[in-house]
Amino acid sequence: MTVAWATLRRSWLVTRRAYPWSYFVGTLLVGAFTMGLAYLGLRAIGGDQVSAEFAGKAGTADYLGYVAVGAAAYMFVVHGILWTGKAMIQEQREGTLGALVVAPARRLPYLLGFAMFAFTAVAVEVAVLLGFAMLLGVRPAATGVLDAVLALAGLTLAVFGMSVVLSDVMIVAGEAHITQNTVFSAIAILSGFTFPRDYLPEAFRWLGELVPVTPAMDVIRGVFTGGAGLPLDRLGVTVLVSLAYTAAGLLAMPWAERRAMERSY
Amino acid sequence: MEESGVEEGGVHDGGGEGAVIGGGKGAGEAVARDRKGAGGAVARGWKGGTEDMVGPMAGYAGRGVKGDAAGRTVRDAVRHAAKVFRAEALKQHRQIFGSKLVVFSMLVWPLLTLIQTYYTLHPLAATPGIATRWPLAADPEPLLAFLATGTLGFTFFFSLVQSAWHFSMERQNGTLELLFLAPASRLAVVVANGFGALVQNAWLFACFSAAMFTMLDVVNVAHPGMYAVVFLAMLVPAVAWGAFLNSLLIFSRDAAFLYTLLDDPMWFASGVRLPTFALPGWLRAAGSVLPLTGSLVVVRGALLDGQGIADLALPLVWLAGLSALLLVAAAGMLKVGEARAQRTGQLRLF
Repeated sequence: MTVAWATLRRSWLVTRRAYPWSYFVGTLLVGAFTMGLAYLGLRAIGGDQVSAEFAGKAGTADYLGYVAVGAAAYMFVVHGILWTGKAMIQEQREGTLGALVVAPARRLPYLLGFAMFAFTAVAVEVAVLLGFAMLLGVRPAATGVLDAVLALAGLTLAVFGMSVVLSDVMIVAGEAHITQNTVFSAIAILSGFTFPRDYLPEAFRWLGELVPVTPAMDVIRGVFTGGAGLPLDRLGVTVLVSLAYTAAGLLAMPWAERRAMERSY
Repeated sequence: MEESGVEEGGVHDGGGEGAVIGGGKGAGEAVARDRKGAGGAVARGWKGGTEDMVGPMAGYAGRGVKGDAAGRTVRDAVRHAAKVFRAEALKQHRQIFGSKLVVFSMLVWPLLTLIQTYYTLHPLAATPGIATRWPLAADPEPLLAFLATGTLGFTFFFSLVQSAWHFSMERQNGTLELLFLAPASRLAVVVANGFGALVQNAWLFACFSAAMFTMLDVVNVAHPGMYAVVFLAMLVPAVAWGAFLNSLLIFSRDAAFLYTLLDDPMWFASGVRLPTFALPGWLRAAGSVLPLTGSLVVVRGALLDGQGIADLALPLVWLAGLSALLLVAAAGMLKVGEARAQRTGQLRLF
């Protein structure tokens, strides 16, 4: 816990002194423009109505609310991965990965420290985005406080699991740009952020099940969209898949670090 | 660029800064004019370096011939620009195509974005009365073709944003200052940087789009020559846009900011994923100054609506003017930015 706390403090210190506004503005713009697209599209193209097919598949006819919740969740996921998943490659780029490898700190608390920092920072950023959504007339409501907490915890765990695996991939590949953007583009389709996954062909729906944020988004939808309530089975899947990702990522990390260090010399 | 200098070889007439600056006619002259106003550390560095000058500078400094005709000067300038262009484009090619992963940014990302946009807008298109509001969206194929043309245009322009981002690595790697010490035409460098990235990044997606249009059977072209018009209507403004972006980077140490700032606003305001009639007036006005907006008008008009040159004359003239303006602005900013960088020494800072 000492390591996690120290990492959290370090990250806040660094961020307070040099906040990467480009991260914030970049992900905020993605969310804001996605909502803007939905808003203008609904007015000009849909004539303030959506197809019956959408209402059936999404469980709600509130298109704007559906997209707003998805855009906010997408920002949460993207920014969570950008902070936590890129922590290791950032060390590599700054030349401190070697120091991290020999330090008497375990990777799990180190990454947990980053995650704790990330999710407190992201919470503020998502609040800004939801504020924008409310300006457009969106009024997101949860089916209950406990439901909301569990849904957010599920999404957080899913992001953490993905971040651990992506940490390995990034330091082994020695790059983050292609990896992160490919993952972001893929989950935007597979995980049901801006449209119901039922629109996708069956093979893609199954492919989405391999990513932990997909079941986590089903939980978010149950709680924040349509009022169906907390789907416990999907929450269970989220926890299982996320823990599997975390375990796999941590197990592979010594190998990934070795590869990354060997390549440096 | 170093390659071209070494290849050229040649001698210099020595004599310190004045000789380097004054002696070089033609290609060297353009550089020399930049140097005259410099006055700072860079210019002083040149003074000391002329005696043992080798590599890129040697070729240009020693190439001057007294009493040279104006035609020769222009020819030399063009030769120099072509050389710089070739070298920078080659460098960009090697940098970007060093890994096969680049296929992701060229094809996979635009494709995934296209799918996501289609599915996001689908619930709005399949509504009663769509044929009166936006006839094109009444059927899935034309809607997909509309979005694909938007994505194609955006890929062209976004590859320039990416190239500008790659160019900013020169600052991180500490080579930006060296680049500005080289006697290469700045404008040629930034245009070549953009062009190299553009051709490589966009060709694969262009092939994909052509294949998709064929499969969707929605292409309606007035005559085959319009394909060339479409290509040029994307290429020329995109290269000018790239040069403009690259020149902006001289002022900024946070290129990522530029990268993210120009990604989303560009697709939103240019009608990439929505028809421009869906945008509010002020946004349409703002989007009209982006060259991508004009390019998309030409691309969609020529490929989907069967419009000929006469129908598209106005947007084509507008695009040509806008491209020229962007290039002039890029040249101006390079000059101002370089002078400022020499004063502040910030080219080495990151």
